[in-house]
Amino acid sequence: MTADIEIRNVNKHFGAMAVLEDLSLSIKAREFIVFLGPSGCGKSTLLRMIAGLETVDSGEIAINNERIDHLPPGKRGIAMVFQSYALYPHMTVRDNMAFGLENIGMSREVIDARINEAARILEMPHLLERKPGQLSGGQRQRVAIGRAIVKEPKAFLFDEPLSNLDAALRTRTRLELAQLHQRLHSTMIFVTHDQVEAMTLADRIVVMNNRKIEQIGTPMEIYERPATKFVAGFVGAPAMNFVEATLDRSAENAAARFADGTSVQTEIVSNQLSDGKHTFGIRSEDVPIVAAGQGNADGVVEVLERLGERTLVYARLGDGQQIVGSDAGNSRVAVGHKVGLAFDGQKSHLFDETGRAWHAREA
Amino acid sequence: MSAPAVSIKGRAFGDHLLLALVILLSIVMIAPVLWVIGLSLKDNAELMADPNSVFHAPYTLKNYINTLGTSSVFIWVRNSIIVAGGLTLGTLILSSLAGYGFARLNFPGRNILFIIVLFGLAVPEQAVLVARHQIFSVLKFHNTHHGLILPGLSASFGVFLMTQYFKAIPKELDEAAMLDNAGRFRIFWKVLLPLTLPAQATLGIFTFLGAWNDYFWPLISATKKDMFTLTVGMASTQTNFAQSEGIGFLMAQAVFAGAPILIVYLFFQKYIVTAVSGAAVR
Repeated sequence: MTADIEIRNVNKHFGAMAVLEDLSLSIKAREFIVFLGPSGCGKSTLLRMIAGLETVDSGEIAINNERIDHLPPGKRGIAMVFQSYALYPHMTVRDNMAFGLENIGMSREVIDARINEAARILEMPHLLERKPGQLSGGQRQRVAIGRAIVKEPKAFLFDEPLSNLDAALRTRTRLELAQLHQRLHSTMIFVTHDQVEAMTLADRIVVMNNRKIEQIGTPMEIYERPATKFVAGFVGAPAMNFVEATLDRSAENAAARFADGTSVQTEIVSNQLSDGKHTFGIRSEDVPIVAAGQGNADGVVEVLERLGERTLVYARLGDGQQIVGSDAGNSRVAVGHKVGLAFDGQKSHLFDETGRAWHAREA
Repeated sequence: MSAPAVSIKGRAFGDHLLLALVILLSIVMIAPVLWVIGLSLKDNAELMADPNSVFHAPYTLKNYINTLGTSSVFIWVRNSIIVAGGLTLGTLILSSLAGYGFARLNFPGRNILFIIVLFGLAVPEQAVLVARHQIFSVLKFHNTHHGLILPGLSASFGVFLMTQYFKAIPKELDEAAMLDNAGRFRIFWKVLLPLTLPAQATLGIFTFLGAWNDYFWPLISATKKDMFTLTVGMASTQTNFAQSEGIGFLMAQAVFAGAPILIVYLFFQKYIVTAVSGAAVR
């Protein structure tokens, strides 16, 4: 089973505090959608509203064109995996998985068949008679997913389900979730503040901030063509370099001039840009390190982060601005060296005073 | 390397000291019990002649035979079981429901109501005794089992304990159960209540022990001999033990009265230790 989910003009307040404001979103059947944003941006609240665990102040939520925002959680045909897993501690794994099916009066044979199938998919038949307290964190996570699978829901909701796992297990579980999505072909909504999870799992990412949606797009759209300065800064590690700049719009494409006199010729069309201050933005991998005097600007290396396949170079420009550039994994650059920074105009971004982003024309 | 050796040596000495203290305290606790059992196995006449005769033979079961055969002690035990059992069951049911309500349901006046319940902890039984006696007289509740049970059902401590325990259970469990299509009562019954078992055991044990040992209210409410609980019945025999029934007989009754408590303790030892150590919150 799978479902389209439609969220229309939804508002939510906790007391006098607005949590979501006039939010609309369409989720296609079989899509893996990730709600990404910092703590307190409203992403978990939105997920809980879809689940029915929070009421909707105004607006509509529909699954397959049928309004569900007035239905109790159990009648919406969705399953949720909680951050804490929320397994019933006194029940065995089998009973945990059976509980929801028993509540709708399903026959024992069907329940057993579904549990066995879910256990097979998740490779945990040997865990069925254990209680949650006898399981590791990863196994509990599997059981929580199994409990969702047996219900054969229209959509799966995941509320930061990987955050309680250690780094290695998180990576493995992330992969398994992606495989599970391919296997079940269900609509999945995943909430996280971890951009790596979002980038690796999502068909589309919904970046949220301050009660609103900042951008909806595929992981690469979000990464390469962020709609706002917030998205550009939030997605990507290290964060995008930002430099205050004045624009020269005399040519077809604008040039950005920094306070220290550095000039970068972008490929962003001049006439779409407004007057006023702009922020120049560029990712570290688009600032290759070159010999001093060979790039757009020179800087003194302050910190090196060797990541293996590349080296991040933190260099200080003449005006005190720090820029993170990128060099080969076996870079010979050392702290204190003067290096050149070559800004890639094609990969440059400009952000106006409202935070709106402007990019080079798509190739 | 010498420092750890000293530390281990010091710790061993501390352990031995603690062990000695525990043994000493155990002797202090168990000696009166053994004393009572010893007295219960002695002939009354022999004890009156020489109280120290408890330390040597002959011993006899005569007092137990008399206890079982001639007195009302079985009726009193039955009454105590009915009252303590009924009170325990009622307290557990009401406290659990009230605790769930206070912890999980939003209703107008909830906080005020909870404060009123907490005030119940501060009101001594003596303060309401006359009014309760009057009401029970009018309702003809005196000398009935429910007359002995009802006052104890307003268990402020039980409601407070269960409320705190329910609050400590993560709400995600309720939410998971709601998504699992469970109604409110099914969530209470199948998901939350089983998780409160340690608190139920603690509350049940304390309620049972308190009701079993209660003397004050049964003394007032149960005036007929066949409605006495064990404590009141035992006390009623003490007025003339020296003349007729004797100290050995009295001690046999005491052993008889204490046996159910001992059985309760043996079965629920783990929970009692937990309760006494104050670790009731998981």
